[in-house]
Amino acid sequence: MDTQETIKQQVTTNQVVLYMKGTPEFPQCGFSANAVKILSLCGVDNLFTVDVLTNPEIRQGIKEYSNWPTIPQLYINGEFIGGSDIITEMNQSGELLKLLQK
Amino acid sequence: MVTAESIQTHIETAMQCELVQVEGDGHHFNAIIVSAEFQGKNMVQQHQLVYRALGDRMKEEIHAISMKTLTPEQWKDVNHR
Repeated sequence: MDTQETIKQQVTTNQVVLYMKGTPEFPQCGFSANAVKILSLCGVDNLFTVDVLTNPEIRQGIKEYSNWPTIPQLYINGEFIGGSDIITEMNQSGELLKLLQK
Repeated sequence: MVTAESIQTHIETAMQCELVQVEGDGHHFNAIIVSAEFQGKNMVQQHQLVYRALGDRMKEEIHAISMKTLTPEQWKDVNHR
């Protein structure tokens, strides 16, 4: 399976997917750590994460998939939601919680 | 080293902006961008416009840029609050 197909499968078979640097337990970047923290505070207990540092093909492929050059990247129900800034803003406005409850 | 000024100039040149403010330490940057081009676009599309303006610099030089994108109307509201 090529990388784009792998990504598509990951984001469509899991409700909440975060492409990040490191793991939720050991994030390797402050922005990824922030995203994990917000999702956990929102009560997400089925978070599927992909560590791009150990998956170089995904690291490149995900940027093409979403036309978005940075990590982390959040997907909910197959849809690209945004990066660290957008996750933070949508959390503050309550929009993120609404999306997660759909 | 990448300077905040060079990023600011780059965005100003590539997009029609009312205001661009960038600050940072050479690795992480914070930016506020006010542009009429953001009208009718969601946040993802707005940030994509800025990323596109920065082009290859996002791949090589800039590790992270945190941004706040606003339309001129939103900017007016923020300032009058």
